[in-house]
Amino acid sequence: MSQWLNKVIDDAKGVDDFLAPMRQQARLKLETDGWPHARNEEWRFTPLSSLKERASNVSEMAASFEIPQVDGLESIDIVFVDGILRTDTSQLSLPTGLSVCTLRDASSDLQNDILALFGQVKPTRHIFGLVNDALCDQGVYIALEDNCRVDIPLRIINIATQDCDAHTRVLVNVGKNSQLKVIEHGTGSVASFTTAFAEYFIGEEAKLEHYRFAFFTGAAKQVGGSHFSLQASANLNSTFVSYGSELSRIDVDIIHAGQHAKAKMNAIYLLAEGEMFDMHSTIEHAVPNGTTEENARGIIGDRARAVFSGRIHIHRDAQKTLAELNNRNLLLSRRAIINTKPELEIYADDVQCAHGATVAEIEEQALYYLLSRGIKRSKALVMLNFGFIQELVNAINNEPIRQWLLPMLNERFASMEVK
Amino acid sequence: MLKINNLHARVEDKTILQGLNLEVNPGEVHAIMGPNGAGKSTLGYVLSGRDGYEVEQGEVSFNGKDLFDMDIEERASSGLFLAFQYPVEIPGVSNMEFMKESVNATREHRGEEPLSATEFLKMAKEACKQVQLPLDFLKRGVNEGFSGGEKKRNEIMQMILLKPSLCILDESDSGLDIDALQVVANGVNSQRDSARSFIIITHYQRLLDFIKPDFVHILANGKIVKSGDASLALQVEKEGYAFLGKEFEGVSA
Repeated sequence: MSQWLNKVIDDAKGVDDFLAPMRQQARLKLETDGWPHARNEEWRFTPLSSLKERASNVSEMAASFEIPQVDGLESIDIVFVDGILRTDTSQLSLPTGLSVCTLRDASSDLQNDILALFGQVKPTRHIFGLVNDALCDQGVYIALEDNCRVDIPLRIINIATQDCDAHTRVLVNVGKNSQLKVIEHGTGSVASFTTAFAEYFIGEEAKLEHYRFAFFTGAAKQVGGSHFSLQASANLNSTFVSYGSELSRIDVDIIHAGQHAKAKMNAIYLLAEGEMFDMHSTIEHAVPNGTTEENARGIIGDRARAVFSGRIHIHRDAQKTLAELNNRNLLLSRRAIINTKPELEIYADDVQCAHGATVAEIEEQALYYLLSRGIKRSKALVMLNFGFIQELVNAINNEPIRQWLLPMLNERFASMEVK
Repeated sequence: MLKINNLHARVEDKTILQGLNLEVNPGEVHAIMGPNGAGKSTLGYVLSGRDGYEVEQGEVSFNGKDLFDMDIEERASSGLFLAFQYPVEIPGVSNMEFMKESVNATREHRGEEPLSATEFLKMAKEACKQVQLPLDFLKRGVNEGFSGGEKKRNEIMQMILLKPSLCILDESDSGLDIDALQVVANGVNSQRDSARSFIIITHYQRLLDFIKPDFVHILANGKIVKSGDASLALQVEKEGYAFLGKEFEGVSA
C-alpha cells in the first residue's frame, strides 16, 4: 500500500455531502484494489513511484495567479487554482439555456441531475479517477437545455501554483439537439499534483466541440481524464494537446451509448527533453452504427518518454461500426522512448475497423528534397516534423484556437534538439 | 560555370559513373541522353549532393568553387537546381511555405533581405500561372496528391522562383502528354538567358524539339561517349544506340 493512498482513503471517510454514497463506493474500491502493482498493464509505463510516498498537502488560497489566455478567443472562464474554484459561478453571464453550478451549492433538484452523471461515464478502473470521486469537493455541473446552441466556448481552467493535491471535477450535460463548446485548459510547472476529471453526457443529436490543453510541465504532476457518452446521433469533435512533465497522464473514453453517433478525436503531444506523457484511450462501441475516428500524433524529444495505449472495443451487438485509430510518433533522438500499444477487441462481425501505430525517425527523402532547395538543415527538420503535427492543428475548426496553438507549438518544437 | 573532371561515383558498392567529363559554360544548354542504367540520374544526384552517392574520384568545380566542399543546401543556395524525376510528396508542409523558405534561404545566401509574405505571394502566383497550375496548388501539401505531370510543373515553378544559375532537369519530360510537355518547355525557355545554363537529362528527343540544346551528349557505362550538336539527338531517335557497339544493338531511344 502507499502512504499517499492511505491518507486519501482516510480523508475520504470525512467527506459528507450528497455525493457521499458514490464517494464511499469509490473509497471501498480503492481499499480493495490498492496501489497498482508494477506489472499492472494499465500502469506499466507510468512512473507512479514518486507519487506513492507523497505527502499530500492541503492547498492554501493562492494570493496571485495568472489565467492562461487563448489570444483572440472570447470565452466564459471558470477558474480553479490549486483545486479551489475561484470563479463565482452565480455571477457568470450565461447564454440562454446554459447553467453552471458548483457541486457545493447544487439545489436538491440539481443534486439529482448530478447524481445521474457523477461517475456514470468515467469507468471505475482508474485508480486516480476513484481518488477524484472520493475527494473532489470542488467541481462544477454544466447543463445545456435541449435545442440550444451556444457558440461562445466555456473554458475550465486548472492552474497549479503550489505543492498540494488538487482534485477537480467537471460534469457536462448537453441537452438533446443542442450544441456546446468546452475547453479544459490546464497549466502549471511547480511541484504539485492535479487530478482533473471530466464527464460528458452528449444528448441525442447534440454536438460537443471539446478541447483539452494539458500544459503541465516540469514538476507539475497531473493525472486526469475526459470521458464522453454519446447518445443516439450525437456528435463529438475533440482535440487534445499535451506537453509532458515528471508525471502526466490522461485517460479518454469515448462511449457510443446510442446508435448513429459520430466521434472524431485528435491528440497531439509534444514532449521536450526529459518529459513524460501517457495517454490511454478507449473507444467503446456498445451499439450498432457508430463511427469513431481517432488520430494521435506525438513528437518525442531527447530522453523523453511517451506512452500511447489505444483500445477499440466493439461489442457483439455493435454491427456496422466504423472505427479507425491511428497513432504516429516521431522520435528526435535515440534516447527518446515511445511505448505504443494498439488493442482491438471485436465481437461483432459486420464492422470496419482500422488500427495502426507507427514510429518514425527523420524522413531522409523529404529532408533531402528541402535541402536541395537551399533550406537550412535545422529549419528543414522543423518544417518536416512539425508538418506532421500541423496537419492536426489545421483540422481544428476554431480559428482563434488554431492561430494561438500553431506558433506556440512551433516555438516549443523549434527549441527541441534533434540528436 | 560547371566543370566536371574524371568523375567516378558509386551507389552502395556499385560504381555508376566511371570517368565522366563535362564542361558547361554560362548560357549553354546541354542535353544528356543515354540508355537506361547509364548513370544519367546518378549524375544529377551526385551534383546535388544526395546521401548515399559517393564520389570515388574526380573533381567538380561550380562557379570556381569545389562543389564537393559544399553541403546540399549550400549548393542549392549557390545556384544549383535539380528538377527531380520523382519529386517526393510531403503532406503537412504547404507548397507555399516550402517555396517561400527556399526562396528566402537563397536570398539570405546572396545577402538580400527576405521577401515578405505578400511580396512572395505575388511572385508565386505569377509563377503558378506560368506553369498553368491552379492557384490552390500553392496551399496544398508539397506535391501531395499531385499527378505526375503536376509534380513536374511544380518543379519548374520552383526553378522559376529560385532563379538558379545552373538547372539540371532529370527526365522532366517523362510521363507528360504533349500539352504538359509544352508547359514545361515554355517554362524552361522563359528562363534561358546568357548567364543561366541547363543540363537536360532525357530519354527522348521530343523534349528537344521544344528546348533546343546547344550540345547533345550520349552517356553510356558511366561516361560520355559521344558529343555533338542537336542533330545527334535526332540520330539517336532514328537509329537507337546501336552505334555505341554491339551490346546496345536493339536498344531504342
